[in-house]
This record gives sequence, C-alpha cells and structure tokens, in this order.
Amino acid sequence: MNRRRVLRRRIVVAILLLLSVAMLTLYFRESDSGIARGVQSVVLRVVAPLQNGTARATKPFRDAWNWAGDLFSAKSENNELRKEVEQLRVGVANELTTQAENDELRAMVKLRDDKIFPKGVRLVTGRVVARSTTAWYSTATINVGSRTGVEVYDAVVNGAGLVGRVTSVTANAAQVTLITDQQSYVDGMVMPGGAQGILSGSVTGDVTLQYVDKNERIKVGQLVVTSGRKGSIFVRGIPVGVVESVGLQEVELYQSIAVGPWVDFRKLDLVQVVVR
Amino acid sequence: MTLERTSIDTAREWSSGGETARLAVMLVIAALLQTTVAPNIRILGANPDFALIIIVCVALMKGSEIGAVFGFLTGVMVAIALMEPFGLSAFVFVVVGYFAGRYAETADLSAGFAPLLTTFAATLVANILFAMAQFLLERQVPMGFFLGRVLIPSLIINTLLAAPLYLVVRLGLRGAGDLRAARAR
Repeated sequence: MNRRRVLRRRIVVAILLLLSVAMLTLYFRESDSGIARGVQSVVLRVVAPLQNGTARATKPFRDAWNWAGDLFSAKSENNELRKEVEQLRVGVANELTTQAENDELRAMVKLRDDKIFPKGVRLVTGRVVARSTTAWYSTATINVGSRTGVEVYDAVVNGAGLVGRVTSVTANAAQVTLITDQQSYVDGMVMPGGAQGILSGSVTGDVTLQYVDKNERIKVGQLVVTSGRKGSIFVRGIPVGVVESVGLQEVELYQSIAVGPWVDFRKLDLVQVVVR
Repeated sequence: MTLERTSIDTAREWSSGGETARLAVMLVIAALLQTTVAPNIRILGANPDFALIIIVCVALMKGSEIGAVFGFLTGVMVAIALMEPFGLSAFVFVVVGYFAGRYAETADLSAGFAPLLTTFAATLVANILFAMAQFLLERQVPMGFFLGRVLIPSLIINTLLAAPLYLVVRLGLRGAGDLRAARAR
C-alpha cells in the first residue's frame, strides 16, 4: 500500500514537472494567438477584477508604506535633490540658450512642430494592478486591454514621462514592459542637440542611452526624450529623464550615457496607453 | 511505527471538499499577495516572495504531494496574473513544494525553527533555479547582482516572514489533515 502511494506521489510530481516544461516550451514557440495565451486571456478575465480590487484595497497601505520609506530616505534624498536641481539648472540654461536657435532652425527647414502626441493618437487611462516581483523582469499588468483599443507595441506614459511599452494584450488587461527591463529598447535623443541613441534597460534597473556618436557633446543634466524616428513605435518627444553621467572612453566608438528616468517605477499607479 | 505512518499517510490523503476549498482560497490569496502587495514592499532592495513562503507552509502541513500540486497551481496563477511565460514559476514551485513536503514527512517538525529553515532552503533553491532559467533564456545574470541584490536580501526577508505567515496559514488550514496534528495523534 505504502509503495503504491510513494509511486503515485512520484508520478504526480513527474507529471507536474513535465507539464511545466511543456507549457514553457509551448509559450515560447506558439504565436500570440496560441493556446497558452488564449488560456491566459480567459483566466485573466476572472483574475483581473480581483487584482483590481486588491490593488485598490491595498492602496492606502501602499501609500503608508511608501510614506514611511520616504521618511527614512528623506535626508539622503534631500541631498540628491539639491544635486539634481543644480543639474537641471545647467540643463535649463542650456535649453534657454539654444531655444531661439532651435526655433529658427525648425522654421528654416520647415519641420513640423511636433506636439508630443500628434493628431489621431488617443490616450487610454489604466491602473497598474500587478507588478513582477522577481529582479529579472520589470513588467506591470494594467487593467485596460484590447477591448479599449490597446495593442501590442503601444507606448505607455504617466505624468512624469515614458513608462514602457505594451508587450502582451488580452481583452481587459495588458502587460507593460518597463523601460528599466533588460529587454527594453527605446530610440531616444538628448535635448538640446538632438544626439540620438538607443535607451536600454538593465537587470539592475538602470537606464542607459547607448550608441551615441562619440563626437556629440553631452552634458550632465540635459534632457532625454524619445526620438520617434521613422518606424519607431514611440512618438517623438516623450520625456524620459535626465543625463546623469557620460561614459566616454578613447577606445570606444560610441558614448554610453546613464539616464535617470523621471518616472518613479516604485510608485506606478495610473498610466496612459498611447493608442495610435 | 506502522500506526504512526498510517496516521501521517491518512493526513496526506486528498481530504474533504471543505479543505480543498480552503486550499483554493489560500492559492488565490498567495497569487494576489504575490502580484499586488509584494511589489510594493521593498526591504533591503528585494521584495518578499509571499507565494513561495505560503507554498512552503502548505507543504509542511500537507505533505509533498499536495505541496507539489499547490506549488504548480500557484506558479500557473502567478504567471497568468503577471502575463509572464507559463511554466517557469510552476516548475520551480513544484520542486519547492515537493521537497518541503518531503522534509515534513521525514524530519521532526516539533522544533519551532522548521518553517524558517525550510523557507531559507526553499528561497535558496528557487532563486538559483530562477537565475539558471534566466541564463537559459539568454538574459543577463550578473553574479554580483544576483548574490547581493537578489539572493541574500530574499533569504533574509523570506526567512523573517516565514514564522508569521506559517501561523496565518496554519490558522487558515487548521483541522484535519495537518501532518503535525497527525503525528501528535
């Protein structure tokens, strides 16, 4: 009897492990409209309202926790903010001195005066209902999906700037890969000046503007926005952050620039999806 | 010896509908805590892994078979809620649930530190498995980052949270089917 029970236990565990591997393989091999994603979509219809409710119910506690955390870090943050103000002052001074010239050049080449969100773009507001807790992924689940017009590759912003892009959609939920994720790549540029590069996240959560021409002169405190060049999924001019440091080595072909994002990813709550 | 084994095995049997319902509620709570509450709690730079701790607690109380099934379902639920790849969390949590349950079935659980010790070991195993999976998925896995910002903080937080969560889970699943209760009989 006992032997049979041990055998059953081992079979159950073996089946579960095999099932896990099979699901993982299926997930990576199938298309976006495959079985695994279909199941995910159906189950999320039930789970999403629960997540939404839990996120709302726990908001006061989250706010209290964040407040307590902020209190502890207020002193060091104060010093950081002082430095940041100095950096921003440099950035604003730069911007003011180049603003007139920039306007003039725009008029000369008859560039379209881009607003951040051009005509035809719709902003869909959603709430972050779940977040990845592993250090390996920087993703969030929001409570709006294809039912409101959200599609894969749509940009996601909040009041502070660029949050990320939609990487998976179901009827009433979407997964957003944050710009801090190590598999996030956004075409960005430094303003003023317009030096272009690729903004990439990392496993540590740092954001770096890579592949910037070595001859471009970048200063700490300059602004980084999306470049929105042809074929990009991001519209031009979405604020991303400020230049924190510039890594320039003689042997390197490009400069690597550390960018401090404006979005506080710890406190993500309401976001807007840029639906085109 | 025979009598003791019988009572433990009886405890491990898939029990009444009421208890299955309690386990199902525990599963939903674990997934919701993991996806909506844990991301907002950051201690020492890491987030607590509520799902893992609850799986360990359930496995310690219910044994390896239920532990493995509970781990699998929790992994699937978490992956669905986060829209992450199916199967990865499920695989890791099956391993954790099974071995935590086996520990409960073979070791003396009368010592109060058993949940802490098991959670510590489970966190270690789970983090190593997750890191290996990331490596296989061709994502960056810097060793210094893994040790300093992932593994060590997680070990500390999860071990500290193990005792209170164990009490809560035990309260939620109290009654028939508890391995310790079976042993006491």
